[in-house]
Amino acid sequence: MADDALDPLIHVPARLRIVATLAALDEDDTLSFTRLQDMIGLTPGNLIVHLRKLEDADYVSSEKTGNGAASRTTVALTSRGRAALDAYTGALRALLDGL
Amino acid sequence: MTGTREIAQFGGADDGGLGLREAATLLEQTGRQARRELEPYPPWLFVVRAAIVLAVGGAAWLSVRGQHPYQGPTVSAILVIAPLLVVNLVATLAVARRRTTGVSGRSRLRPVEITVMVVIWVGVYVVLGVLAGAGVSPAIVYGWYLVGVPLIVAGIAWAAIMAARANWRECGTAVAVAVVGAAAVFAGPVGAWAVAGVGLCITLLGSAAAIACRQRA
Repeated sequence: MADDALDPLIHVPARLRIVATLAALDEDDTLSFTRLQDMIGLTPGNLIVHLRKLEDADYVSSEKTGNGAASRTTVALTSRGRAALDAYTGALRALLDGL
Repeated sequence: MTGTREIAQFGGADDGGLGLREAATLLEQTGRQARRELEPYPPWLFVVRAAIVLAVGGAAWLSVRGQHPYQGPTVSAILVIAPLLVVNLVATLAVARRRTTGVSGRSRLRPVEITVMVVIWVGVYVVLGVLAGAGVSPAIVYGWYLVGVPLIVAGIAWAAIMAARANWRECGTAVAVAVVGAAAVFAGPVGAWAVAGVGLCITLLGSAAAIACRQRA
């Protein structure tokens, strides 16, 4: 059960913090890349790498607006990502209860 | 289960050795911290605002309670009240702006909603000016109307906006504000200030408690 139960994509400190932070937003809200970076404390390069993995799984969506210095990237948890986090939380709770 | 076994079972190439308990702690702490940082109006701000409205209501009530006939808050009371209201407004806007930096989407107020609230507030005070200019009794203009009507009208409008957004906590707070306004009207021009001050203080402290509970959940 254990290997299947915990989503390996989320069960990584940096990505767990990313999805937990984005889950604190109201549904349909987005967070700017820079604010997310401030909150998580990752370097931009590191954050991009983890966000890309989450985006590939459709857990996170990002949108870039504007050009050059005025460009702004926003990030949000998708409904699939929210469901994955709920499933992860439930599985983690079940595993801890079983210890 | 030891941390080592957990790591062996659940570890991935880039998981940094995350154990079950560590994961649970990280998840809880991160979620709680994010909810706290992203909350536009933190509990402490509501507590400060509660103290301010209590001071405003108290100062006004102390200045009008011995008046026969009723004339409204005295100049010295207004000199205390006005800066407090400005501090309340500026602090609220500054804190909310700082905390919602980088957040966009449905939770942010839309221009039409901001316009509705601005029009309502301006309209309430335009009517106040018209009533005062028309020679209506100070007890009505600077008592019942000044205290009760803004709270009732703005409270109902805000409740409607929040209900449309399905934000039931804010909607409840707005309804409570309108109820406080209605109670103030029934308390008469002198008692209205005390009722509004105490009622709004209780409402704001209730909101602070609700937000604090939500952040801990």
